[in-house]
Amino acid sequence: MTTMATRIQMPYTLTPGEATGVFLAELGRRRLIGSRHGDRILVPAQDFDGSTGEPAEGFVELAPAGRLEAFTVTAQGVLGLVLVDGADVPFLHRIVGFAEADLTIGARVAAVWADEPTGSVLDLAGFGPAGDGPGFKPRIAPDGLAQPFEQVEYTMTLDYQHSYGHYYGTLFDAVRTDRRLRGVKCSQCRRTLLPPRARCDVCFAPTAEWVDVEAVGVVQACSVVHIEFIGQRLKPPYVYAELVLDGTSTRLIHMVGGIDPAEARTAVAPGSRVRAVWSDRRTGSLADIDYFELIPGEPS
Amino acid sequence: MSIAIVGTGQTAHARRRTDVSQAGLAREAVVEALQDAGLTMDDIDSVVVASGPAMFGAVNQPEKWLVDALGARFKPVVRVTSGGGTGLAGALAAVNQIKGGAARRVLVVAYDKLSEGALQASISTLYDPFWGREFAVGIMGFSAAYWRARMDRLGHTQEAAAMVAVKNRRHALANPKAHVRKEVTVEEVLASRPLCWPIKVLDVPPISDGACAVILAADEDALAITDTPAWINGMAYYSEADNGADRSMLQSEPLQIAAARVYRDAGITNPFRQFDVAELQEPYTCFELSYYEGLGLCPAGGAADLVASGETAMGGSLPVNPSGGCMGANPIGATALIRLAEAAMQVTGKAGRHQVPGASLALVQAGGGWANLRGVAVVSSEKR
Ligand SMILES: [Zn+2]
Repeated sequence: MTTMATRIQMPYTLTPGEATGVFLAELGRRRLIGSRHGDRILVPAQDFDGSTGEPAEGFVELAPAGRLEAFTVTAQGVLGLVLVDGADVPFLHRIVGFAEADLTIGARVAAVWADEPTGSVLDLAGFGPAGDGPGFKPRIAPDGLAQPFEQVEYTMTLDYQHSYGHYYGTLFDAVRTDRRLRGVKCSQCRRTLLPPRARCDVCFAPTAEWVDVEAVGVVQACSVVHIEFIGQRLKPPYVYAELVLDGTSTRLIHMVGGIDPAEARTAVAPGSRVRAVWSDRRTGSLADIDYFELIPGEPS
Repeated sequence: MSIAIVGTGQTAHARRRTDVSQAGLAREAVVEALQDAGLTMDDIDSVVVASGPAMFGAVNQPEKWLVDALGARFKPVVRVTSGGGTGLAGALAAVNQIKGGAARRVLVVAYDKLSEGALQASISTLYDPFWGREFAVGIMGFSAAYWRARMDRLGHTQEAAAMVAVKNRRHALANPKAHVRKEVTVEEVLASRPLCWPIKVLDVPPISDGACAVILAADEDALAITDTPAWINGMAYYSEADNGADRSMLQSEPLQIAAARVYRDAGITNPFRQFDVAELQEPYTCFELSYYEGLGLCPAGGAADLVASGETAMGGSLPVNPSGGCMGANPIGATALIRLAEAAMQVTGKAGRHQVPGASLALVQAGGGWANLRGVAVVSSEKR
């Protein structure tokens, strides 16, 4: 095994602030709202002028049309910088509906609105080809402004391929194929370190010698997990444990299972003896151990 | 060279600030700090942004976003992040910029907007993906585990930790910036819902949106700005790996190293007697007990007796967390800088209703992880 695939997926409720909140809300009404900063107008509307840090003096509606200032063609479509008529700073967005031959710097563009607003920036689907049709100068929005969106739902999904490297690779190959834990011994102080590593972090001498570590040890510290959270592997309550396997000088984070949840607070304590319960899974990770269990007849 | 805090500002902290973006939140604290110092952004040479993991708010390099909202475009800016003690690590970076001659007046702004993301899941990504992450419960699982170990070895009972909750929540009543202002009793804390037992709901601070800003300057620069600088007589921040060998985790070695260094620099030989007030960052109640020992306010195993004595409550000989500490508000990236700002307010007589009368020497502690990231500072009305 060379790499381990992991995915981090996180839900968010982002707060856009007043100006961006108004801008997003007004897209659903097919209006383009900018912010006024002295004689400059920024669109999308901004709470603060980036060149001074001063708050916006108010909001204006801009005609949903402008001029293409720059663009790039990607596999997912065209992205462009559009200088909306009356605005002072270009707006990065999707460019849609152009034949590639017609894409030119300086082309006139107009807003293309989504059929059904969903409350995102894509309620403005993009900017498409347009003529010189009559627009209007930035103006106070008729009929007032929509209430700003206060929160925007967002999910971030990040996929990683973590390299095992020599030490983790050797350990987790042995975990997956032989159900063996392999540590290293320091050449100087003779401590056994798990996970294995190139150098001892106590005396900084190289670690050269591989040793097998039995999946049996002692609870150094433990707590009873009751809260539920994203990515949790066991249904609470269960015991979170920091273990020291026999002969090692390092800690292993895992769970103690196979106990009556009602007795979790007293059944497991610092000093309890435990052993691994191997899973049917063979993933090459610590999840190949389902949990640790108390050893009958030994201190608990 | 002696460096002082010449201005502080904090937002109104809240569980969820839907009226501002992350940048708007940070700006609010900066505006207040500049007003407090009587300065404008033109007077600031350099900006340090301190915030928690990017995963908290889904914005990577938020400092780029913040500088425009702060009016700090084209000024030197760096972001500092170092676990729960991030705010103090940011202040230390500012101190070093001034000491090194790179800047004379430095703004530190620290924030987190924790309402936006999944807190414990985000914190779990701090762990090694091969070793521990999949079983981590943020920092709560192992914090609870080592508290449980300290019960056996050091007598840090659930009752003693509950007294910390009672004390700090009572203190927060007098702090206008705190957003949790509700008294509790020891019995209520003990009976509250377990999250990671022995940690229970009332052992845990709120999850907050908030920001803090501090302006630093040295010697004559400080005296030109204010008649009442809060002098930093010592500041240090130490860390070690999560998975070091041979760690009982009963005491934090980085905390002991930081305290020894800072006490030496500040001339502290008897911390319990010398300090008038302390602001200690307690992400859970059990942490405050361990800090009493790590900071030498009492011997190892003495923390439960110390909190029970009432000496660390307002009116006692060393009030700890007159602001309410994290129990009043806990915007993690800002929390450590809030401790420093509160200490500065105390020694300059600006702490209002939660002022410790006559305080002139304050102890600050900050940190992250259960034991592996720890900072200490000493703040005084007197230049050393
Ligand atoms: Zn060694």
